[in-house]
Amino acid sequence: MADLQLRALDITKHFQGVAALAEVTLEVERGSIHGVVGPNGAGKTTLLNVMSGFLPPSRGVVELDGRDVTRLAPQKRVPLGLTRTFQNLRLFGGLTVRENVLLGQHSRARTGFLSLWPLRTAAEKELDRAAEHALEAFGLTEYRRRRAATLPYGLQKQLEIARAVSAKPRLLLMDEPAAGMTAKERLDLVPRIRALRDEGLTVVIVEHDMEVIGAVCDVVTVLNFGRKLVEGAPKVALASAEVRTAYLGT
Amino acid sequence: MMDAYTEAVVIRLGIAILLALGYWITAATGKFSFGHAAFMSIGAYTASILTVKFDWSLETSMLVSGLTAAVAGAFIGWIALRLTILYLAIITFAFAEIVKILLDSWDYAGGASGLFGMRGTTPQLLAICIGVVIVYLFFLTRSRKGLSYEAIREDEQAARACGLGVTRISVEAFAVSAAITGVAGALSAHETLIITPAQFGAPQSLLIILFVVLGGVQYFWGAIVGAVVLTMLPIWFDFLEEYYQITYGLLFVALMILRPQGIVGSGTERRFTMRALARLSPKRGKADGDG
Repeated sequence: MADLQLRALDITKHFQGVAALAEVTLEVERGSIHGVVGPNGAGKTTLLNVMSGFLPPSRGVVELDGRDVTRLAPQKRVPLGLTRTFQNLRLFGGLTVRENVLLGQHSRARTGFLSLWPLRTAAEKELDRAAEHALEAFGLTEYRRRRAATLPYGLQKQLEIARAVSAKPRLLLMDEPAAGMTAKERLDLVPRIRALRDEGLTVVIVEHDMEVIGAVCDVVTVLNFGRKLVEGAPKVALASAEVRTAYLGT
Repeated sequence: MMDAYTEAVVIRLGIAILLALGYWITAATGKFSFGHAAFMSIGAYTASILTVKFDWSLETSMLVSGLTAAVAGAFIGWIALRLTILYLAIITFAFAEIVKILLDSWDYAGGASGLFGMRGTTPQLLAICIGVVIVYLFFLTRSRKGLSYEAIREDEQAARACGLGVTRISVEAFAVSAAITGVAGALSAHETLIITPAQFGAPQSLLIILFVVLGGVQYFWGAIVGAVVLTMLPIWFDFLEEYYQITYGLLFVALMILRPQGIVGSGTERRFTMRALARLSPKRGKADGDG
């Protein structure tokens, strides 16, 4: 029996009568890197939005570690170990790089009225140190005091991952992390994602870049017109006739 | 010792500062209320009824009025803060009008002709209140709680993705803001010595917004500057007589063109500016585009 961390069962999502997803099931094994690919409009981001709680499904169930989280708000999934990044960057552009990472720790930090007390507890000092480590790990230390909006695009992408990882999730949903990156940045991204998995994280990655998908994923699910087309190891799944037809129309 | 005139000006100035600081807290989360005068009136009437009809001390009445305004703020915030900024504006405005109408028809509190019999306040009491609020804001703006306010203002979806309970945090900020406004209302009632529902209409709500927008919302002390300038301008420009309103209006327009971020503030996109008021468009929907 596979050790499943996330199950999205028979997910259907309608937008004004149009089915963006039709009975899609995605089962993500703990410690794996699971890719979701498909042509534009295939429903990849919709599926990610449903799994992260940003969109309620019209039908279907989302389970995280065996717990039904279908109706749970996105912010309530974060303490359960699920975080995400966005296709179009959603940084706090007016805040500094360090503040963005601190906000990523929100679910782990004390944020009530008592947190206003200026003396810092040992746990708070530990979180501060963790934030510095995250900045260092993602090559952002020298930019820590800069406003996030002023960073080059590639670094903003890194910062979004650093912020998501700062919540100490067990499952990270990444929406097109390679989009807009230079060839070199894309090359750097592959070991970065592998390192996250090696640290014990399960990763679901929605991506257009087949090179990235092929290099990092253990399993790939191909969607087309809101339906699951194929699932399997990247080499097999991406080479299948259905996928070639979906992408190339031949 | 201050003469009576100076003392009246100082108290009026102090109340304006307290109102501005209170409003700054909700503005820090990017939520603009267009009916903060309602919380001022709730504070004013609560404290005045307690001091006049029940002979309570002003200090205790003031605390109760803050609490009452906080409860009202939490209630209205819980209804309105989940909506877009446009609906928030409409609901808070309507709430203030409803409170005004209810007070108008409440005979026990004097109805439209008002409530009187208050015994006055002192600059010292006001100074203590302002001091407490400034200390609170000093620590708030250096805390993770303050950071979460900024995050909500910047991007609610990203804030949710970070695990922030956007509604809960916004309602909490709104309630604290209402509480401070309620205390300012209580002190104001004990300075004017007579209160009528008409004092707490839309012009008063607008004035409170202007304190913060004029001063700049990047730092909380910008709100103080805004409150001081807007309270003192009518006194400084007194010699202009009937031309005062025109000069006042022109100054305001000029300032908004030259310094849209307010008097205080760097003008960077950090924290927020007048542009936040321009974002009065409904925007709620999918977390992201589909791919």
